[in-house]
Amino acid sequence: MKPMKFGVGQPMRRVEDAKFITGKGRYTSDAFPENCLVAGFLRSPHAHARFAIGDLADIRSMPGVKLVLTADDLAHLGSMPCLAPMGNSDGSSMELPRYPVLAEAVVRHVGDAIVMIVAETAEQVRDAIEATPIDFEILPAVVDMRAALAEGAVAVWPGAGGNLAYDNAIGDKAGADAVFAKAAHVVSLTVDNTRLVANYMEPRAGFAEIDEQGRFVLTTGSQGVHGLRDSLAASILKVPPEKIRLITPDVGGGFGTKAVMYREYPLLLEAAKRVAQPVGWVADRTEHFLGDAQGRDNHTTAEMALDADGRFLALRVDILGSLGAYLSQFGPFIPWLGATMATGAYDIPVLYARCRGVYTHTVPVDAYRGAGRPEAAYVLERLVDNCARQLRVKPDALRALNFIPVAKMPYKTQTDRTYDVGDFEGAMKRALEKADAAGFETRATDAQKRGMLRGLGFASYIECTAWGEGEDGIVRLEPDGTFTILVGTQSNGQGHATAYAQTASQYLDVPLDKIVVVQGDTDLVKTGNGTGGSRSIPVGSVMVSGASGKLVEQLKSLASEKLEAAVADLEVADGAIRISGTDRSINYADLAALPNATLEIRTGRDEYIPASATYPNGTHVCELEIDPETGVTTIERFTICDDFGMTLNPMLLAGQVHGGVAQGIGQALLENTVYSDDGQLLTATLMDYCLPRASDIPMIQFETRNIPSTTNPLGLKGAGEAGTIGSCPAVMNAVVDALYRARGVTHFDMPATPSRIAAVLNA
Amino acid sequence: MQVSLTVNGNAVTQDVDTRTLLVNFLRENLRLTGTHVGCDTSQCGACVVHIDGKSVKSCTTLAVACEGASVTTIEGLAANGALHPMQEAFREHHGLQCGFCTPGMIMSAVDIVNRHGFDLDERTIREELEGNICRCTGYQNIVKAVSAGAKAMGGQGALKQAAE
Repeated sequence: MKPMKFGVGQPMRRVEDAKFITGKGRYTSDAFPENCLVAGFLRSPHAHARFAIGDLADIRSMPGVKLVLTADDLAHLGSMPCLAPMGNSDGSSMELPRYPVLAEAVVRHVGDAIVMIVAETAEQVRDAIEATPIDFEILPAVVDMRAALAEGAVAVWPGAGGNLAYDNAIGDKAGADAVFAKAAHVVSLTVDNTRLVANYMEPRAGFAEIDEQGRFVLTTGSQGVHGLRDSLAASILKVPPEKIRLITPDVGGGFGTKAVMYREYPLLLEAAKRVAQPVGWVADRTEHFLGDAQGRDNHTTAEMALDADGRFLALRVDILGSLGAYLSQFGPFIPWLGATMATGAYDIPVLYARCRGVYTHTVPVDAYRGAGRPEAAYVLERLVDNCARQLRVKPDALRALNFIPVAKMPYKTQTDRTYDVGDFEGAMKRALEKADAAGFETRATDAQKRGMLRGLGFASYIECTAWGEGEDGIVRLEPDGTFTILVGTQSNGQGHATAYAQTASQYLDVPLDKIVVVQGDTDLVKTGNGTGGSRSIPVGSVMVSGASGKLVEQLKSLASEKLEAAVADLEVADGAIRISGTDRSINYADLAALPNATLEIRTGRDEYIPASATYPNGTHVCELEIDPETGVTTIERFTICDDFGMTLNPMLLAGQVHGGVAQGIGQALLENTVYSDDGQLLTATLMDYCLPRASDIPMIQFETRNIPSTTNPLGLKGAGEAGTIGSCPAVMNAVVDALYRARGVTHFDMPATPSRIAAVLNA
Repeated sequence: MQVSLTVNGNAVTQDVDTRTLLVNFLRENLRLTGTHVGCDTSQCGACVVHIDGKSVKSCTTLAVACEGASVTTIEGLAANGALHPMQEAFREHHGLQCGFCTPGMIMSAVDIVNRHGFDLDERTIREELEGNICRCTGYQNIVKAVSAGAKAMGGQGALKQAAE
């Protein structure tokens, strides 16, 4: 692309930062109306119980209490939607158990919401929750997926096929079995992918109002207002979508988990309608652990069949994905999305992947940064390292032998995906070179002299982003000569206001502060599909680019009359339309003031619907040391070579990668969601659930080796999730490498906490 | 109970419950919403403010305990309309994404400089940020921002200003 002063390819500083660094960010809980009442929820202390609520008259008359709601009050409402149900391999559809807005007679996980209380102050709400009379008949609970599938296991849902929510498969079972039967080598791996909690720093919050037109208005930190509005309208409130306005102000992190419907949203609206006053709620951190969808939680066995030379012949994968107690919005689809990426960056001719969704008495599971793709990459990259160890070949050589070669692109996988471009070996070689993998043995010997266990591991991932729905949006010239972009994605901190302005400035050549990006209000932005699946740049920017290009043509036609020049002789230069090669021009404000500068001509509109996903890929290399005395793992080097197709803003891109890597390192070394056998959540605060601190994360050496995607006009590939996907297996491969070199350990499950490392070293 | 204190240079006297936390006093009574609540258990540091020039987690400080104290929040850090060098450094080095932890990060960073000086090495910065959690940035650019902000503070003699 032609270099423009404020255009794409440059590390433009963020336009949104001025408010955030001065405390003027406006997150949901900063914006409660003056007369806002406070809501809170009585949540189940038990994983599985029948309950009976006593007489609530005393609660309703407690000081400040304005409203008490139970399931009995909500018969007119629908239920929480599952928008991604799965089929079974026999062709049948999975059953969709009712997910009520408040629990009905039975609670199914610790934190299950039972009663909503609205009062004047948070203290009054808490007092009323504590005083609410409720009897629980505690029932047996099941937490572990394999236990949940065992014969005679207590069922989360009556009637359904035990706790098996669905049982689907992809690929050729008979073909795979035949290859395995004759293969020279078979290598297998069984791993857990731990359950994670998103832990955005801004806990969820919302407030509801009824506007002067009688519409429901909900303000909440989401990943896209339109989808939530439509679900509220169609599935729960049962009103036309135009009766609901959804607003999302600044959002303090989302990571997939803020994309979905939560019970508090319809309940706040219902409460605001009943009390005819605004009603707001702010989750505390423990409510985040108990009430927001959790992530990952797979148990997977994978097997690779190889020929005598180490060529991959067939892959078998058996995924168990915990769905929790209820079907969250996209819950069933997440492990399946992983199954569709099972073969990764490798040319594997035969695949059979079985994927089962399992109910347990735990918080529902849904999308969390990567959503199925980290799970797939984790299994495959751990398995490939196992293959290398078992066959006694170098992991890079084994990968190079089996990568899909550039010459085979575009390449159709056994899961019916088409990778458009990619040079997986090129990225791996560059990453290993940059990481000085060749010098590792010397460093490992040095570490040994110091009594430390050093390991090197890497992962060569591929993932899919920006599939499916499109964006239909607007770039508009305003009467004062500034521009407005209306787009239906939703920044949660990624810097959309900067990235989209930069994209538009590529065409308009104005400073970024002359372009306002509007998101997060269904009244202002008519359509949108939100942020998720790393789609906001590879879909949103393509739309902004298209709309900007159209706007420029419209503005040229407007200018052509005024400048008395042919459109073909006009160009954009220095924030104006100019006759090429002259100093005769008209600036945007003057253009907007022309009598025929109608709103229509000042509005560039475009719709971009991706024909296919994009496939970012690359290699992450991790070098670490384990202190055998303490079990503490320290990452010494972390090096990445990624292919993101095209770099819109290298500063924002690196930021996305750094943050993603930290979440992957967090999973590998620190984080874990632990339930007791009876379903108590033992990690429900940040004192128990270990998030990475600054000293847990190394300086990350990141570079790109971009090969433009052919599936969109800008060549972009999504980058929001890739860091999480590549990093976790790279760290764990390095941990296993260190343990194998020192003690011959070949298997280790996440997280590599000091106590777990010490346990294996002392075994 | 009545409490009198100075917040961002302004004298404030209000009646508060003895159980009112400083963070709620700032956010709800004074509508200074730049100070955030992230975790309720003093882990995350989104609520860090300065009391008499030292960084404190306002989610575990009672408002009444601040009688006579001088409290500085993120809103009070910029002096005479000019950004504090640490604020400027966070913007320049992309030390923030969602921005929710940022006020606490910046207030802690200024305190780190006040205690350790203008020339901070990476290890010191990372260890000193132990009480501030960021879920977006992976800390890399925060570390760079704190280092650069510290140097800039040295250049501007801002250490004294921040401590006052």
